Order: sequence, then C-alpha cells, then structure tokens
Amino acid sequence: MPSPDLPPDIPSVLDELPGDLMIWILIVSELLVFGAGLLAFLGMRAADPVAFAQDQEMLNRVAGAVNTVVLVTSGYCAARAVQSVQRTRAWLSAAMVLGAVFLVVKGMEYADKARHGIGIETSDFFTFYYLLTGFHAMHVVAGLVIFALLMRWPSPRNLEAGAAFWHMVDLVWVLLFPIIYLVR
Amino acid sequence: MIHLNRAFAILIGLSICTTLLADLVPRAGIIFVATVLVLSMVKARVILSQYLGLAQAPTFRRGFNAIVTIFVLAAFGLYLLPLAL
Repeated sequence: MPSPDLPPDIPSVLDELPGDLMIWILIVSELLVFGAGLLAFLGMRAADPVAFAQDQEMLNRVAGAVNTVVLVTSGYCAARAVQSVQRTRAWLSAAMVLGAVFLVVKGMEYADKARHGIGIETSDFFTFYYLLTGFHAMHVVAGLVIFALLMRWPSPRNLEAGAAFWHMVDLVWVLLFPIIYLVR
Repeated sequence: MIHLNRAFAILIGLSICTTLLADLVPRAGIIFVATVLVLSMVKARVILSQYLGLAQAPTFRRGFNAIVTIFVLAAFGLYLLPLAL
C-alpha cells in the first residue's frame, strides 16, 4: 500500500531517457569537459595557426582513421551485447578486443612521437594533443575495466550503463579526431 | 537490430569518406574543414540516436543534437578566427 505522505508518481520527461539518469549525467559531464578542451585547443590554434599546422603534419592520420573505424565497430559490438540474450559475452569480448586494438594503435603513435623526441612540452599543439588523446585513452581503459566487470555480472541494467559509457567514449573520439588530426 | 546495423554501416561509410577526403585533399581549407566537421557532426548524431538509444527519447535527442551542432559551429568559428584577423 503506498504511503499517504508520498506524492503520486508524476510522468516526467526524464522517463524517456534510456538507462539510468546517472549515466546520462556522467555522459553530459564528460562531453562538456572534452568539448571545453577541444574549443580551448582551437582557441590556442587561432593565436598561431602556422605552428599548429606544422606540428599537426607530424601526426599519423592513418592511425587516427583506423582507430575511428576500430572504435565505431567496438561500439557496435557493445550495442549488440546489450540486445543479445545468448551471445552477450561473445559481443562484449569482441568490443574489448577492439578497445585493446585502439590502445595498441594509440600506444604505437605515442611511441613514434617519443622516438622523434616529441613530448607533452614540445609545443602548445602537443600539450593539447597528449592531454586530450591521453585523457580519452584513459576513458578507453576505464571502459575495458567496466567490460571486464560486465563479463562477470552481465545484468541488463549493468550492460546498458556499461555500453552507454562506451558509446560516450566513441562519441568523444568522432569529435576529437577531426579537430586534432584534420582541421588545418 | 536493423537500426543498429544501418547505424553501423553509416558510421563506417562516413569514417571512410572522412579518411578519403583527408587523403585526397593535400591542402586543406575552409570547405575541407567544414565538410569534415559536418561529417563528424552526422556521426555524433547517429551515435546519440542509435547507439545511445536517444531515438526513443525525441526530446533529449533534439537537445543533444542542438548541443553537438552548437559545438561544431563554435569549432568552425574558432577555425575561421585567424582568417578574420
């Protein structure tokens, strides 16, 4: 019997949202952080576009493009894991493998930069490059940890929240890649 | 499932378009940057709508799409800034 002190449930626009409200608060927070970082990057570029273009030439665009396809495919696997009843772990495993591939490609990029003596303090461009792509890569690592936990506890609610986090990582990358690697 | 497969195909297709464009246009310019940003905006909208499931939440889909559009416009404005100075 409902308590007479509690107001009746009123339909809210928030009921439309798929999954937990908290994961959406996290998604919005992350988008704001990365959005601010990318706009700050473009703001700094406006002060010295020639130097930024020279530094950008040292980036591996093919690696960035490959990672876009890898992450988009991984996101597809995560979405299939949520929808699949019997093959959840198989789709999750595929998403994890692709997430690991993303990190390997990113690691190769960083190693190549290190070989050329390029670090976070080399220039303003590379400071932003390392901060933004590094922060994003940390989210990929966090996503892989979440997927590992989902392999152990794959409840529909957990799966939906974990996949939403992964799609947020995917979303950030599709906005980050063109701005850091291509806008020149 | 069909929506998901279609979304995946669109995302891969747009990613390949972006890569080809970056490869084929050695000297980037305003049109190149505008095209690349629009392609990334469309990709972001597909992820929001189909991967994140906002197709079932039209109010929020409109809100998120508006935020992504404003972000891309701001990014393009900042790209144009040195040309205006």
